[in-house]
Amino acid sequence: MRNDDDDRLPVPLTDAVSLLRELPPVRAEWRADVLREVTTAGRPPRRVSLSIPWAIAAGLVCAMAGGGAAFLATRDRVASPPMASSVDSRASVTMLPVRFSVAAPNAARVSIVGDFNHWNPTTLPMRRSADGRTWEVEVRLPVGRYSYAFLIDGSLTLDPAAPRGSGDDFGAPNSVLMVRGS
Amino acid sequence: MTSDARRRLAPRAELWAAMLCAALCGRVAAQSPPRDRLSPSTHTTLDRLIDSARVAGLPTAPLVDKIAEGTLKGADDERIVRAVRTLARELGDARAALGPSTDVAVLGAAASALHAGVTEGDLRRMARAGGSPEPAALASALVTLVDLVAKRVPVAPATRSIEDLLNRRATERQFATLRADVGQDILAGRSPEQSLITRTTAQLRALDPASIDVMPRRPPSDP
Repeated sequence: MRNDDDDRLPVPLTDAVSLLRELPPVRAEWRADVLREVTTAGRPPRRVSLSIPWAIAAGLVCAMAGGGAAFLATRDRVASPPMASSVDSRASVTMLPVRFSVAAPNAARVSIVGDFNHWNPTTLPMRRSADGRTWEVEVRLPVGRYSYAFLIDGSLTLDPAAPRGSGDDFGAPNSVLMVRGS
Repeated sequence: MTSDARRRLAPRAELWAAMLCAALCGRVAAQSPPRDRLSPSTHTTLDRLIDSARVAGLPTAPLVDKIAEGTLKGADDERIVRAVRTLARELGDARAALGPSTDVAVLGAAASALHAGVTEGDLRRMARAGGSPEPAALASALVTLVDLVAKRVPVAPATRSIEDLLNRRATERQFATLRADVGQDILAGRSPEQSLITRTTAQLRALDPASIDVMPRRPPSDP
């Protein structure tokens, strides 16, 4: 490794300078890393940009993740508290299957709302049964007491097969479900 | 990890962070009552009521459920606050009557009974009837009692009937039968109270044929 200045030095010194100018022995990958850091220093931070389709896809993934988490959270709660003639006593542990059904032959949309789904009309839609007259849904609930009602085409309706609750705080009474263990 | 590797991972980390945030937001939203339309001051009041109940050792889930119910039913803020405050007080009264280790389902049923007009003394007697019934049996009895009152059976005779049945260790099925029979009688035009007396007598006779004729009748105000 020489340059023009070396020509003006005495020969013994020139050799010493050359020796000093050589890089110390280091691993090749370390040197490459150092050189890469040096050569990229001062550059603006790297920006990540997504094309519109990828941005939409990422948004959908996030929304699905959020929705999935919300579903799981609701299911967990449903899985946590109810008396009913419809309790399946064959279930063993804490979660017991409970089948709700209501006759509404002319309804277009039926769901169930209650303590077990935070009175959310969208989480437990009921399905029309084969006979076309009744609507059904099965949920798994832990032992406990629950207030609920059917939402038939937007109107709250009591379950004729269940006891009524006392809470008429909001102008519409509720049915009561007790789920108990064995 | 080299800086290059870190750089390659950076966008993925951001995506994961965004997904995690979305998931957490979804979970929190699902756990929170749908009270978006409530005013900030109502939020504050409800949060304080729930905190107070928690500090008092009362179950807070029924209070949160009451908020959600009121919201779904379109009740105004004042009505929701009043209902939650009333429920918190009834849960506290029920626990005072039945004891601090009372099962949550029984506590909810007892609070509902108090709401229907049953007294704390009635609750205490029913909790001791028949040698202290199992929580599930007591809860079923209280649910039946509330249902009878909702069907316009007067509170006093309804309470006496349920207590008598508990004293004879009536089963959950027998309570359900009583409820259904009285309901059918009322639909057929019979007096709710008369139907209750007739149906209760039939149930008691089935449970203990020998003692039905000597069963004492207490006034409802007995401690």
